[in-house]
Amino acid sequence: MVYVYDGSLEGAFSAIYQMFHDKGDVNSHTLVASEGLQYAIFEPVKTCETQPEWSNKVVQSILDTFGPEAFRRIGYAYLSEDAAFGTKLYRCLKRAYKLGERAMENLSDPDILALYKCYNAVARESHSMMGLIRFSELNKGIYYAHFEPTYDLLGLVIPHFKARLADQIWVIHDTKRKKAAFYNKETVHISDLDDVGALDFSSVEMDFQKMWRTYFDHIAIIERKNPKLQQQKMPKKYWKFLTEKDLSKNLLK
Amino acid sequence: MTANEKLSILADAAKYDVSCSSSGSARSGDKTMLGNTAMPGICHSYSDDGRCISLLKILFTNKCIYDCSYCINRQSNAEMPRAEFTPDEVVDLTIGFYRRNYIEGLFLSSGVVRNPNYTMELLLLVVKKLRAARFNGYVHLKGIPGADHMLIEEAGKYVDRMSINIELPTTQSLRLLAPEKKRLDMIAPMGFIKEKMSEYKALGRQFKNAPTFVPAGQSTQLIVGATADPDYKIIKISEALYKRMALKRVYYSSYVPVGRTAITVGPSIDLLKREHRIYQADWLLRYYGFTADEILTPESPNLDMDVDPKCQWALRNLHLFPMDVNRVTFLELLRIPGVGNVTARRIMAARRFGPLHFDALKKMGVVMKRAKYFITCSGKPFGASDMDPFRLKQLMLDAPKPLNNQLSLYELYPGQFGGNQNGLRI
Ligand code: SF4
Repeated sequence: MVYVYDGSLEGAFSAIYQMFHDKGDVNSHTLVASEGLQYAIFEPVKTCETQPEWSNKVVQSILDTFGPEAFRRIGYAYLSEDAAFGTKLYRCLKRAYKLGERAMENLSDPDILALYKCYNAVARESHSMMGLIRFSELNKGIYYAHFEPTYDLLGLVIPHFKARLADQIWVIHDTKRKKAAFYNKETVHISDLDDVGALDFSSVEMDFQKMWRTYFDHIAIIERKNPKLQQQKMPKKYWKFLTEKDLSKNLLK
Repeated sequence: MTANEKLSILADAAKYDVSCSSSGSARSGDKTMLGNTAMPGICHSYSDDGRCISLLKILFTNKCIYDCSYCINRQSNAEMPRAEFTPDEVVDLTIGFYRRNYIEGLFLSSGVVRNPNYTMELLLLVVKKLRAARFNGYVHLKGIPGADHMLIEEAGKYVDRMSINIELPTTQSLRLLAPEKKRLDMIAPMGFIKEKMSEYKALGRQFKNAPTFVPAGQSTQLIVGATADPDYKIIKISEALYKRMALKRVYYSSYVPVGRTAITVGPSIDLLKREHRIYQADWLLRYYGFTADEILTPESPNLDMDVDPKCQWALRNLHLFPMDVNRVTFLELLRIPGVGNVTARRIMAARRFGPLHFDALKKMGVVMKRAKYFITCSGKPFGASDMDPFRLKQLMLDAPKPLNNQLSLYELYPGQFGGNQNGLRI
């Protein structure tokens, strides 16, 4: 049976509730988000409604059985936007309930490992984003950053920047998912945000960008150039958002 | 000179100093402050040589009255352009970079102008100004050898980490290459900082608002390859520094000959590779419970460039293997080549649910290429129980090289072929 949910995490938990209720062999069920649904010819399809009550039951049960850390990992795994997240979650939970309390630590199990890998990829990228996000100062003292992370992790980096850049107004804009976090020195709110167009930079912004590029160029030991290592540590897909690596800006130099 | 021009000179001058870590301190700020420090440390970029950029690493000035022959800033290096920041320039640069999320904080060092005390006072002024501007990010300050302890103590209240570079492994090599520097000028302040750290920690336990003192601890740097000192001497010193001085990190910088009067010494083995192996050995000291004497011996005092230090140890101690991953303790797991810290923890956690098999080990991060010769799973060998160290080593090499390349057998197996180094005492 192919179970279909609406793509939200709540929806996934509601569907899990039904799937556990329906029983059956683990290999006979899959769970997919409605937008990722391929036309299924040979299998029956069951569309699941999102029911907060069911979803809450599943969440509570996960918390009670496996603890908050396990739940956090599931949340991260969801943000991986992995097309197979639903099925991976289902299979992982099926195994975990058999094994009991600390089951989520049992990475020797392929189904538990599969979900762990989704979690780990998101955790890793959000840690590196804490370093790679670049702010520019706009005219009215607003610090603006745009980025396009592989995973949907805007919400995960907010607490870090809220604590760190506490005394400045900032915006972090995920231009791929067209949403942004706004911080006003007090609270953060997230809302949709389209392309912002041409930016009006503060008078000193270009000086700082130039000095950062100077620093970047001069801190490297040229005798030991190692582009392979550099790219391995800092994949090219991030470069267009990096002040020190953005080629269009380097051309202006 | 513009700040940008100064930056280019004073970043250049600082780049051979390797320590660029912002870890080891977790301190939160409040809404009126800029910055905090994060425990695991964050890399903000990777320079063209592939090294992590975490801190703004600069010298306050590269003018220097001394003439240490391994250093590009030595007085006699006449073609070196010189510059000096003002304290405000350093403060503006640090804060400007920090607000844009370029860096975790500042790593400030300096050449010695006039005398050690005068220089230390300048550095102290910078960190004071930085904190007065409500900057709460990470600050790593170099202590100037020979400066008054009072100045060191004062500076320690404003910074997260302090380091005094020991530079060379032995007193003899120091006398040779940095005749104006005294060993004691480096060791004494280290001991002093260690004492103060525990004093202030005790104070902190008594009074909530007591000042902190170098909360992220102290580190140091050793230059590798500027003298003929063997690896054994180097890791023996590191071990002593970790144990007796309670250092957080020892950094190793492979010597880059710079300037016209650069010194050249030692065998022409790949210095970067050697640095890499020494870091691995250092890792074994800090996280894997190895002692320096387990890693190397006076009889074979140099690390093998072909296999990592843990493999070298395992090959010398084959009587301890194979180990059964389903039975041995955590500390024993850590001794298996190809099993790292994270993997060992995963194995311990997963073992509770039943015995592990080889395919699961691989998925959990065990590097089977190395581990397979040293482990069994519930008594079963992997099918590679070839326990002859010579053959084993060949099997484990990353890219098997023909035996007759530049390295002679003597160099590969100094122990077996009567290799001997004189004067191995620290
Ligand atoms: S005192 Fe420091 S900066 Fe001056 S020459 Fe010696 S190592 Fe270089």
